[in-house]
Amino acid sequence: MKALARFAKMVTFWELVKGLGVTTKYLVKPKVTELYPDKRPVLPYRTKGRLHVDIETCISCRMCEKACPEGCIKVFPPPKEVFKTDKRPAEFLINQEHCLHCGLCVDPCPTGSIHHSQEFELVVFDYRELLFDKERLPCDLDQPRYRWNGLENARAEK
Amino acid sequence: MNFDWVTAHVGMPLLKILILLVPVFTVVAYMVWFERRVLGFFQSRLGPNRVGPLGLIQPIADGLKLLLKEDVVPANARPFLFKIAPVFSFFPAFVGFSVITWALPWVTASGKTHGFVVADVDLGLLVILALSSMGIFGILLGGWSSGSKYPLFGSLRSASQMLAYEVPLTLSVLSVFLLAGSFRMSDIVAAQQKLGGYFLFPGIVAFGVYLVAAVAETNRTPFDLPEGESEIIGFHTEYSGMRFAFYFVAEYANVVLTSVLAAALFLGGYDIPFVNDAALYAAHPALTSLLGVASFAVKGALFAFFFVWIRATWPRYRYDQLLRIGWFVLFPLALVNLLLMALLRLWLLR
Repeated sequence: MKALARFAKMVTFWELVKGLGVTTKYLVKPKVTELYPDKRPVLPYRTKGRLHVDIETCISCRMCEKACPEGCIKVFPPPKEVFKTDKRPAEFLINQEHCLHCGLCVDPCPTGSIHHSQEFELVVFDYRELLFDKERLPCDLDQPRYRWNGLENARAEK
Repeated sequence: MNFDWVTAHVGMPLLKILILLVPVFTVVAYMVWFERRVLGFFQSRLGPNRVGPLGLIQPIADGLKLLLKEDVVPANARPFLFKIAPVFSFFPAFVGFSVITWALPWVTASGKTHGFVVADVDLGLLVILALSSMGIFGILLGGWSSGSKYPLFGSLRSASQMLAYEVPLTLSVLSVFLLAGSFRMSDIVAAQQKLGGYFLFPGIVAFGVYLVAAVAETNRTPFDLPEGESEIIGFHTEYSGMRFAFYFVAEYANVVLTSVLAAALFLGGYDIPFVNDAALYAAHPALTSLLGVASFAVKGALFAFFFVWIRATWPRYRYDQLLRIGWFVLFPLALVNLLLMALLRLWLLR
């Protein structure tokens, strides 16, 4: 019986046919290729994209500036008289060209106004376009704001 | 000189060649696209889908790219042979299409018949076999005239491989000849129609031998040692640009030719399955011819898909294994099968 089965396998080239079956399975399986420009990828919640700053809630404490290992953040507090009432920075510069997307500036921020966004397409024709000032720093409130030490993240992630 | 004679022997064949060449070139170009797409699907990828819808303009883009590349002739090469060798490969692959009958003949209102074939010669199969043997010259000359080691070895391997597989291929085709009693393509199809079934069943061994030998003859995986597409070390290592494209196109033309030939020899060619062709032809001749071409194309496409399928599945054979299969397995098998077919012909199919 065993010999007969072996003979049948030999005559039908069973190993080769089995291989064809395996590849056929892959023919109909869904493909793994990312269809990036046609279909936007669904990014993870913790994606560290371009830095966004909520200028309205910023208190010009310059913690992010001190935390940045690349020194690509510059915060200019307003004049003293103004600062007593309005703590919003006079100017906020982020050189996205040098940014490591390390997230060290996000953690110390007491108000949570600086945060990563889901924006990842940072290719430009002129490097000066990557220097973002107060006017060009957007704050998209719909974007998830992830902070590594924040309690609210634990809640948000659930 | 009689004007009718000129029309019949020069005008019509030229017209037919033109009508045939356009679809053949298109099919060969899109065979490349088909292979890349399907191979991608087999590997969980999508293949080329950027140029045009579904990547359908990809072959044109590839052709343009190869056309615009620099034409390099190595310093050690023999220039004349180096330049002419790709043509030796290119030419037989396309001439083979001329003897294949594509459908039942078309009868005009004035009673003239126009066959769907460029040259309905009575030794059609032999012409194809002879031409496929000529294809070796392109590979041998290209490898030898490159003046480089790898192409030389590649072409030497190719020569012995082609010799080893030419014999079983011819023998398997011969058994079809025995069953049909003719080398003419239309006669072979007619014999299959008369038999009521295709030669696939009585000639199953010949069919298997033909498939394996055809894969080896076209230098494709798992027998792609002369070419070595994955390492680019083969007979066309030194070729680039348009001359490389000639070899490339010749290979795919050979794939299409062997697929079409397999469909004609073993799957009934332009015979429409499950339909009485003769009755339908008497009622609607044009429709039958068109459906015949379509069914022929579908059958050929099945084989073309098979070629891609095995490329995606089976690993390459070692060189000694390849030659052993050729001489010690396929050759005796084809020979014994030929004998059996002869006996079958003698006693059963008289």
